[in-house]
Amino acid sequence: MNAAQAEPARSPFRLNGRQLVPILILPILLVNAISFLWPTFSLLRMSLNEPVAGGAIRETLTLQTYIDVMTDGFYLELVWNSIYLCSIITIVTLILSYPIALFIHRADPKWRSILTLMVISPLLVSAVVRTYGWVIILGDQGLINAFLMSTGLVERPARLIFNNFGVVVGLIEILMPYMILSLMAGFGRLDPRLEEAAQSLGAKRFTTLRRVTIPLTAPGIALGCLLVFVLSISSFVTPKLLGGGRVFLLATEIYDQSIVLLNWPLAASLSMLVLVIFGAALVVYSRIVKALD
Amino acid sequence: MKTKLLMGGIAALAFMQSLNAAQAQSGEVTIASYDGIFQTEYMDTVIAAFEEAYPDITVNYYPMANSAATLGTLRAQRSAPQVDVVIFDVSVAKAATDEGLLAELDRDAVTNLNDLYDTAFTEGVNAAAVTFDNLVLLYNTGAISEAPTSWEALWDPAREGRVIIPAAPDIQGVALTIIANQLAGGESYLDGLDAGVEKMAELAPLVQTWEPTPDPYQPIMNAQADIGIGWNARGQIFSDQSNGSMGVVIPSEGSVYQINVIGTVEGSANEEAAKTFMNFALSPEAQALFTERMFYAPTNEKSEPSTEALDRTAATPERMETMIDINWLEVAQFREALTERWRREIIPRSR
Repeated sequence: MNAAQAEPARSPFRLNGRQLVPILILPILLVNAISFLWPTFSLLRMSLNEPVAGGAIRETLTLQTYIDVMTDGFYLELVWNSIYLCSIITIVTLILSYPIALFIHRADPKWRSILTLMVISPLLVSAVVRTYGWVIILGDQGLINAFLMSTGLVERPARLIFNNFGVVVGLIEILMPYMILSLMAGFGRLDPRLEEAAQSLGAKRFTTLRRVTIPLTAPGIALGCLLVFVLSISSFVTPKLLGGGRVFLLATEIYDQSIVLLNWPLAASLSMLVLVIFGAALVVYSRIVKALD
Repeated sequence: MKTKLLMGGIAALAFMQSLNAAQAQSGEVTIASYDGIFQTEYMDTVIAAFEEAYPDITVNYYPMANSAATLGTLRAQRSAPQVDVVIFDVSVAKAATDEGLLAELDRDAVTNLNDLYDTAFTEGVNAAAVTFDNLVLLYNTGAISEAPTSWEALWDPAREGRVIIPAAPDIQGVALTIIANQLAGGESYLDGLDAGVEKMAELAPLVQTWEPTPDPYQPIMNAQADIGIGWNARGQIFSDQSNGSMGVVIPSEGSVYQINVIGTVEGSANEEAAKTFMNFALSPEAQALFTERMFYAPTNEKSEPSTEALDRTAATPERMETMIDINWLEVAQFREALTERWRREIIPRSR
């Protein structure tokens, strides 16, 4: 069969590759416009309305809620507290996840899929259920306190939940699978021969880790940190259940303002603020990735 | 239990008779109100009786997590309401009325409105009280053997780390501040709550959680906490279900009412059926049925639940004497400011 025979008659509607791109992108553009851009725009519009004490909303165009947020010490503390707590969660999650991810990456291929499955399996259980699990483990009559009291280390149950500590522990456990998966995705660049070369040239194990392994896996670290930070700052259920009303974060405040106090304009302004923090995290991430390349 | 059943039966019979005069109507009506135990009990009593009385009207129940969610739904459906009748908190109903989401009360169609207590109506709200509830003390009977009689039991130093209080902005925390204000010798809550806030700050170090989950009743039933506050109706029901592990007390100093109102939605496609349901829900019979089942005090003056059921509400003559009069619409004006004070002056004391 020669080429001339195979070539069908050219249709006037046939598009070349460049023309095809916008058409192929169109569906995802539409989905994004309907499910992301439009709600975000509505949120922005709501944040410019005026709340009336008692829960009603007056439709107008004002920046008053933004001014209130920026000038009120409580909200500034809230933003700082959210960023601070989520940074701690991100760092500890990274420290705990890195060895696990490295172990799975280096494991025998026949074990690797089973180990990966074990890492992912907690995601099959709802975060609410896992958080309640922590209430049982960390509560006054929980496992940890029962152990501490039986050994005589403490006389009264230590307060392990309904405070920052409980929220940090709960979120770390819930977010670890995301970190491990992101790290593993970034481990593709880790060539074992480079580590062997470093060691054969006299580098100790720690030096190899510091100067070869970690730099090579940095893109995975950056991705995992971005993901965990963004997920923790927007997480709501765990801080609500484990914070005991003492831990004020942006997500829980948005809930209180929208659901309890009915102050939708303020809730919308705080949501826009979270979006700005996400944007800043993305900028930092892309700078880091660029620097690494 | 037998008396309860008997009273329920009598109420149902009385109510059936009153229906002979009722016009045969048909159609559909959708009611939005609380989910969970409220939904189960309301469907089993009032809605079941309504469906028997009006077999040609189909009732749909649209369960809502809370009053704010109901308001959110009304806002979202403003141009094409899918809900015809709402039952929610009076202060949220005020916001809904202000935004034109509730139809005006129609005393000609909803004739039972004429028999409600004066306190069932709040100026500027297009809805009328359908249940009266009140704040109560909840305690674990294993940890506290003798039923407390005063709110002061919360401040007992022996309860350190075993007290649970839903914090403001939750209205239970707001209501307790108003009660604490009175305990501390403060004047009316309208003249400021300094004494109450200070008294709450003294309670803070004893508090285990300001956000009991899933509600204040379960941790006390399960002995995760010794004492706390909650609403009477749910407290009574859960107390019955807990095999006596949770006790419910309306303290001698009195309490404050929480009011759920019923109203029809502006622009509802089933206006007539909606008004028929609202009239039914406010009837003396339906009110008695629900009091017998869930211990909300009736809002219809002519309603006659059993003494046994009334004794478990705040609607006994002695208790009504001690109740602290609260206008929730006035409270809504300062709730946000009070929440701020909680966050700055009360909660930090519990860290």
